[in-house]
Amino acid sequence: MPTPPEKKTARPDLAYIERLIDDRPADGWFSVHRDAFRDPAVFELEMRHIFEATWNFVGLDSQLPNPNDYLTTTIGRAPVVVMRDAEGRLGCFLNSCRHKGAIVFAANAGNGAHHSCPYHGWTYDTGGRCIAITSQRQGSYSPAFDAMEHNLARVAKFDSYRGLLFASLSADVPPLDEYLGDARRGIDLVVDQGPDGIELVPGAVSFTYNANWKFQLENSSDTYHFIPTHTSYIGVLEKRRTARAAASSSTTAGSIYEDIGAQAASRRGSFAFPHGHVLMWGDNPAVEARPLYPMLPELEKRVGKTLAKWMMYVRNLTLFPNVQFAENASMQLRIIRPLAVDRTEMLAYCVAPKGESAQARIKRLRQYEDFFNPTGFATPDDTSAYEACQRGDEAHTLDWQQGYARGIGAMKAGGNTEADELGIKPDYSSVGGYRMGDETIFHANYRAWLELLKRGIARS
Amino acid sequence: MKVDLAEAAALLNLEAMLLDEQDWDGWLALYEENAEFWMPAWKSETEPTADPMKELSMIYYASRSGLEDRVQRIRSGRSVASTPLRRTAHMVGNVILMPDDGSGLASVKSSFNVHVYDTRAKTQHVFFGRTTHRLARRKEGLGIRAKKVILANDCIPTMLDIYCV
Ligand code: FES
Ligand SMILES: [Fe+2]
Repeated sequence: MPTPPEKKTARPDLAYIERLIDDRPADGWFSVHRDAFRDPAVFELEMRHIFEATWNFVGLDSQLPNPNDYLTTTIGRAPVVVMRDAEGRLGCFLNSCRHKGAIVFAANAGNGAHHSCPYHGWTYDTGGRCIAITSQRQGSYSPAFDAMEHNLARVAKFDSYRGLLFASLSADVPPLDEYLGDARRGIDLVVDQGPDGIELVPGAVSFTYNANWKFQLENSSDTYHFIPTHTSYIGVLEKRRTARAAASSSTTAGSIYEDIGAQAASRRGSFAFPHGHVLMWGDNPAVEARPLYPMLPELEKRVGKTLAKWMMYVRNLTLFPNVQFAENASMQLRIIRPLAVDRTEMLAYCVAPKGESAQARIKRLRQYEDFFNPTGFATPDDTSAYEACQRGDEAHTLDWQQGYARGIGAMKAGGNTEADELGIKPDYSSVGGYRMGDETIFHANYRAWLELLKRGIARS
Repeated sequence: MKVDLAEAAALLNLEAMLLDEQDWDGWLALYEENAEFWMPAWKSETEPTADPMKELSMIYYASRSGLEDRVQRIRSGRSVASTPLRRTAHMVGNVILMPDDGSGLASVKSSFNVHVYDTRAKTQHVFFGRTTHRLARRKEGLGIRAKKVILANDCIPTMLDIYCV
């Protein structure tokens, strides 16, 4: 095969990337340079060396219960299809016809044994095998073509943990279990909520915002923003609480934030794991507001009192780089899809334990819609704040953020009592009052970010 | 219930105007206290969710109090997504009066385009879809007992508030 001419595009070098993170633990300082959020060249590198070079979440096995079920998603820029073949084996492939590249699986999800490319009709089965090339015999192909393999290209790595499916376009990644490390306990706290596991409630919601993907990455673990950003939501909850107290019944769902004073008096903590994963937690004083609450006795019996208590906590888990489970009262699965340096698409699902009561499900839905939907009371204020940051970061004469400093005085290498309860050994942890608004949790995200970028640049 | 098309269309136009003029009290007054407001999410490319008690909705309020909550947030001055409010122009058309189903309510279907302008980013967007209103006769005129909005373009750019459909 002839070597393609060398590309002569200017790419930021190692020194440029290294200068984007100011990580000086001995001085009690950490910061991220604003170019990380606004430089399109950094975005290109993130696609190649982060999203397309490490494990990405691609779906739940419960989305593909039957043979020949498939779903489509992306890894970085690449369209992929995850499917169960006729024998029930899961696989993940680039969703791109080997002939001229057309998307073969056009729908978000579906079922079917054979899938024909819309362009010239090459046909693939759910094992990714090319089973028919249109008019192959009459095609006067050369022996060189006949010697080639025409199947859909498998991703380099594909594996799962507790029903969460992950794929990597690069073979050079640690095994999934090692990659996730003790962040797996955060997944267990989600998956074990139902005796038969979890499910996605029908109905997905997607939205976009005009800002960098890392604002979303951070915001999920950002306890500091909650009260200032969501004041109007808190106001609505207070009104509902008063109304509920006045009437004996109410049509609106409760929320753990109805008594914001009680929340503000509770503790918040964070665990940071290798490879950029983090878990933010809060010892939620309003357990009765959780749709999961009626299941507490069953949970205590099945998983024990300690883990059941942790399931009632507020927990936001980020599995770097593209998936988050956000659980305050209801629970959301968020998939981050960066589109450009200043544009991001989010795909979100309501997650529920299988078999919860009809009443609990209604409560979960209403809480979810209120808080998590881009059509609700809270998420639009988050995304609007990210957009404000993106526009503000256009002040190119300013270099460094000051948003990674809260909690540095409270952080501790390794675990703590709470980590021991979960049986985990994080890289570092922190715990404090609600108002501490820890920001050390982001350091782990950016250390993994920098490591992957450096590795990728060094190799290319 | 006896309603004529012109009367029903006039109510839909009035609702559109009140939202565009941001006359929230006037808008809320069109709704009955037990009015249901429902905007389903989509299950697939072709199918919206059908049961708000078992499936996700974009918005679901069982009574007008949910709409009042939205207005409270809009007015609070404390929602960054709502300060300043986007400007809108609602276009309601294809108003069709459905056959009387004997329920005591009149069913009216229509289509909408809502042009939404974000004054900060100087960007605009059009939300479009179909609406079914269920109307009740009250002494002050027709009132809305239920509104169901099928939003056709459901990938939401940053936000969609109650005044954007
Ligand atoms: S691109 Fe698929 S058959 Fe031609
Ligand atoms: Fe938020």
